[in-house]
Amino acid sequence: MKKIFFYLWILLIMSVCSYNLTIHYIPNIVYGVFHNKIEKNQGIGDNEIKHFDIPNYKSRAVVMPNPDFLYSVSFYDLSSGDLKLKGNMPDSTYWSVSFYKPNTINWYVKNDKEFNSNRLELNLTINNTKGENIIHSPVKKGLMIIRILVENKDQNSIDYYKSLQKSITIN
Amino acid sequence: MKNKIIIPILILLSIIIGGYIAIAKINSSVQNNEFSIKNGSWAVNPNMDLKNSYQRAYISRIGVFALDEKEVLYFLSSKDNDGNQLTSDFDYQIIGSPPKGRYWSYTLYGKDYFLVNNEANTYTINKENLDRDKPILISSTKKNNNWLPSGNEKQFHITLRIYNPDENVYKNLQSLDLPIIKKIEK
Repeated sequence: MKKIFFYLWILLIMSVCSYNLTIHYIPNIVYGVFHNKIEKNQGIGDNEIKHFDIPNYKSRAVVMPNPDFLYSVSFYDLSSGDLKLKGNMPDSTYWSVSFYKPNTINWYVKNDKEFNSNRLELNLTINNTKGENIIHSPVKKGLMIIRILVENKDQNSIDYYKSLQKSITIN
Repeated sequence: MKNKIIIPILILLSIIIGGYIAIAKINSSVQNNEFSIKNGSWAVNPNMDLKNSYQRAYISRIGVFALDEKEVLYFLSSKDNDGNQLTSDFDYQIIGSPPKGRYWSYTLYGKDYFLVNNEANTYTINKENLDRDKPILISSTKKNNNWLPSGNEKQFHITLRIYNPDENVYKNLQSLDLPIIKKIEK
């Protein structure tokens, strides 16, 4: 009898631990699932960029996609050095660059109004490098998302913004 | 020998019990908009820079990779102004103007938080495609103007996004004059 209570006590303690671990790691699991989906379904690895079309009902990689935006996504890894992000961005619509930790915290976001020009040039580093256009990542690995607002959905506008989107590179 | 069997069983059971309760609790928090400021039928999360792991788990369930609140405010509503669940069985009209900001949009999502399949391939009414002289109508059947299709969703919700909101918007999120979602005759 005493042993049964002992086992129940152990079960309770371990369940509480499992509860806390699950809560703590849910964001990391969501991040990991998205990472795997992108890698597997889109065939891109770390430090490569995937330019997505405007989301529709078939877009099911991430909940609540915004159907007004073109998204470019890259999982970065700074283990082998800094990364350069370059591209020609629109000059008359909202766009932004954002970075996320693997626990999904959005640690950086800057939009078109905060950039000095529509020429995107950023250096992503984990070192204490100083200089212009340098972003210090708090983590070695994370996610970058670039959003371009497509206000009018006529084909010419979409094609124009897509051509700009394709100019974005990371290396 | 007995311990060799009991310990793995206890570990497995605790993973299942703890994991199940954690996910159920998060889902319940999502259902009740637990960490949101409520204003009418809308709920808004004023702080996306979450240090608390429970709140992070909550956000990752409903809006993973959302932008922080300085960039975008997300107002969510799954109910009409009478407090009833939004459903494609009825039509609705959005009455009123969104809070001031650089850009705004209403987007309709299904119960699973994904976009809803519809014949018009329209998922959003926004600052640019709005016909200002006509009301915004949420309906499963085709409308001529400002139509936000609800497809065949038995339950759906509307997300109102405000990009770069005016400073004043943050000051009174609870009492801000927000649009209402009103049930109308089909």
